[in-house]
Amino acid sequence: MGWIDHVWLGILAVFQGPELFNIVGLSIPVTIVMILAGFLAGIAVGATPGLAGPMAMAISLPILISIFGFNDDALLPVMGFLLGVMTGATVGGAVPAILFNTPGTPDAYMTTLDGYPMTMRGESRKALRIAHFSSASGDTFSDIVLILCAPFLALLVERYLDLPEKTALLILSLAVIASVIDGSPGKGLLSLGLGLLAAYVGTGEDFYPRLSMGTQVLAQGIPIAAVVLGVLIVGEVFRSLEEILNESRDSGTIKTIEQRGDQKLHRSDIRKLIPYIARSAVIGTVVGALPGIGSTLAATMGYGSGRASHIRKGKKPPFGEGAPEGIAATEAANSSVSGANLIPVLSLGIPGNAAAVFLILAADTIGGFNPGPSVFRLTAETVNPELVIAFGIFAMMMIANALNWTIGGIFMRSMGFMSRVPKHILLPIVLLLTLTSIYVQETRMAALWLTIGFGILGYLMRRLGISPLPLVIAFILGAKLEEAARQAFASTGGDAWFLFTSPIAATFMAIAVLVVVISLRKSNGSAQ
Amino acid sequence: MKQFDRANVILGIGFAAAAVVIALVWVPMDSETGLFEKVRRQVTIGDALAPSVAAGFLFLAGLMIVVFEPAERARSLTAGNLRYLSKLLLIVFVSFALMRWFGPVLVAVFTDGSYRLLRDAVPWKYAGFVTGGAFLVTGLIGLVEGRITMRGVVIGLGSAIVFIIIYDLPFDDLLLPPNGDV
Repeated sequence: MGWIDHVWLGILAVFQGPELFNIVGLSIPVTIVMILAGFLAGIAVGATPGLAGPMAMAISLPILISIFGFNDDALLPVMGFLLGVMTGATVGGAVPAILFNTPGTPDAYMTTLDGYPMTMRGESRKALRIAHFSSASGDTFSDIVLILCAPFLALLVERYLDLPEKTALLILSLAVIASVIDGSPGKGLLSLGLGLLAAYVGTGEDFYPRLSMGTQVLAQGIPIAAVVLGVLIVGEVFRSLEEILNESRDSGTIKTIEQRGDQKLHRSDIRKLIPYIARSAVIGTVVGALPGIGSTLAATMGYGSGRASHIRKGKKPPFGEGAPEGIAATEAANSSVSGANLIPVLSLGIPGNAAAVFLILAADTIGGFNPGPSVFRLTAETVNPELVIAFGIFAMMMIANALNWTIGGIFMRSMGFMSRVPKHILLPIVLLLTLTSIYVQETRMAALWLTIGFGILGYLMRRLGISPLPLVIAFILGAKLEEAARQAFASTGGDAWFLFTSPIAATFMAIAVLVVVISLRKSNGSAQ
Repeated sequence: MKQFDRANVILGIGFAAAAVVIALVWVPMDSETGLFEKVRRQVTIGDALAPSVAAGFLFLAGLMIVVFEPAERARSLTAGNLRYLSKLLLIVFVSFALMRWFGPVLVAVFTDGSYRLLRDAVPWKYAGFVTGGAFLVTGLIGLVEGRITMRGVVIGLGSAIVFIIIYDLPFDDLLLPPNGDV
């Protein structure tokens, strides 16, 4: 079976999957409805300050698995919902940033700089239209790059990388993630070490589960949901609640500004924005394709590059004073990350950010799909079901994209009210929802205690300026890394230097060391 | 000469010391196989190697923080952070205790049966989740607002009931806390 057959089967899997209902004889497949539901939920979540796409993905996963079960038909609807959330949350993040000067997601911070001044000038609807157009353009571009690059990269990995090289590639990815996040290689490595250590508790090849201290709780291993949700969600809830507690909260009244003037986005406006969108889309896609570098950095880089060009051209108003180009540069950059960060997930099995972590978690929980280079393996006569799912995922991303272009703007502009939900009420509810969703998966109170334990760890890490993302990614990749190393060691006849004997593996290791050293120098340089 | 920040030194040395204890005490004592194993005349990687490498990363990270981490980026915990954390943990602890024990206590007081037999029967199966969940939400809202309000109680109860509607009513196979433990 060739590529074209698999592409076609992937598209059919989405459109001819199980029927949810039919309208006048027209079958409506469940996957399409789930993408739509996820997309709308994502916009609502993104528009709510304090919530983020990964939170919605984490909470919805157990509910979705309960609805769809663990069978082959479950994967596409569940992944469709999560992909919808991922796309929607990025668009939704611009709403409170523009209307209330409060970014709904961290990567929308730069949008406040020009979006809110436009609202103050009475052009909020135009600002929202610019944000939506730029975001949808960036998303489309990065989806296309993903579809073209992921299979190609996976084929290269399969063809040229053997077990030692794959082990070295995992080490290189972890080194990049630890070094570049937050610009502190020491703290990144600390987070990574903690994640690996947690991954090795209660596992191993021997009959006795290592590092379990003789307890039944640890002997079962630390549940992945407890670590991921504990560190990423519970830790963030703990930190945010303290921030609110520390803030002397204002009365909370929102000043109403009369919206006047031309609110439409004309062709002439689009022509002016296109260069900024194009530049930011490329920046966001490149940043997104590298594991560990998030959309916040992409937004910052896109905005910075757009501002430099704006100053060179001497355009008015300047960035930071309500320039439509500022919104376009930021939104195109942060939205183009979401598609591109599936490149390392699908081609290497390495998650680059929190949203990708939840996609891997879904695939892992449901089964039948192991993201990595083997997904893109073609066999002469038989169908590769994983490749069909991969093309199904690409098809779903394009559908999410089409929804973004068609109804995304209207729904986004109606979500302004979500910004007024008080965070200190929302966050405890999110905490209870997270704990409930973990319990229904694990059905033991010990899992809740472990989640709270990792939540405290996440809180402490944030307070000490340590990013929790390397911990989560290392936890997910820990078992894979050990397995690859064991196999590579065995296949080289017990050669302890297996990471340095092949030129490709040695190059990966050298780059890993180089990345850490450069980041250390950069971190010291920027501080001086 | 480079100035070492106190917070960085404490964090770095603390983790480097913990890494030494992990690598030299915990891992060897709590793994059945060593770093490498000889099985049927073939050398394989033992269960102790991977956690030892993780401990090595922690040690290296500790040293990097002490030596290279710029003083401007140093962060430390304040007494306020610890006070907040202890209040928060108290709320979580009471909430989990209610979740785990309120239902069984209620059953013991009002019926002759055991909670295990009634864990699928209304209202017993919801008793722990509603009280514990409501306490968690109400308590945390109260922590931020500085007092427990009727609005907080209503939101706490309401959210617990909504989650029962989401998770329990449509699905027979899902168990709410603490019904998987009893």
